[in-house]
Amino acid sequence: MTLTLLEAALLLFVVGCAVGTALLEDTLAAVMAFAAYSLGVSVLWLVLQAPDVGLTEAAVGAGIMTILFLLALSNTVTPDADRILEPVRWRTVALVGGFVLLIGVTVPALPAVSDPTAPVASGEVTTYYLENAYEQTDVRNAVTAVLAAYRGFDTLGEAVVVYAAGIVALSVLRREVFA
Amino acid sequence: MVEFETALLAVAAAFVLFATVALYRVYAGPTTHDRVIAVNVAGTNTVIAIALVAAAFGQSVFLDVALVYALLNFLLSIAFSKFNVERGNVL
Repeated sequence: MTLTLLEAALLLFVVGCAVGTALLEDTLAAVMAFAAYSLGVSVLWLVLQAPDVGLTEAAVGAGIMTILFLLALSNTVTPDADRILEPVRWRTVALVGGFVLLIGVTVPALPAVSDPTAPVASGEVTTYYLENAYEQTDVRNAVTAVLAAYRGFDTLGEAVVVYAAGIVALSVLRREVFA
Repeated sequence: MVEFETALLAVAAAFVLFATVALYRVYAGPTTHDRVIAVNVAGTNTVIAIALVAAAFGQSVFLDVALVYALLNFLLSIAFSKFNVERGNVL
């Protein structure tokens, strides 16, 4: 009960920060609201018993992202904001609200956490992976086998995204190597 | 014992609510200094909330996260302040 109270307070904080990030006219203030948002999200990860994800979210989301935003901002000229909040674009609000509604309708249809009858645990694809992964890929870990062999193209796409992010970070930092 | 943990979680929720109240200053400003201090206050509140959650769950690993947070919070304030004064040179 009190855990739900804590989660509700955290969600209120996170949503408040997110709305601030979207609406604040002053770019520096929006970056600050985004840093606070990352802090709130990582407490949420802790409450969900995932301290490693929370640690990563705090270090990357609040730390590195904020520094990168500030570096990008320092290469621009920001005019003084003459009002606190930007005017709201109602078409965007309708689009985002519709998307949130769609997800909100979908989430209760998901199977409960650690439900043994969930379709993922007993599905045809999972059984195939578990039965054939060792012979077909010669990888000793089933998760690694799925990521590196069966979904190799997917993982390659993720690697391309990380590579592009690294190049963008270098160009913002105006350096040629990471060291 | 259960009541004690419940009390810890309730206090953590209260601290997160305080952080939410501090968000008003992030919105209203009016100067960047107000916003820096408001984000710092919100961050400090979340550090306390994490420590309380760690005590309630009996997980000392969470305290490491609280430490990282406290350091990051301080660094962020310095970065924002430096940016505000010098327009750049944050590293």
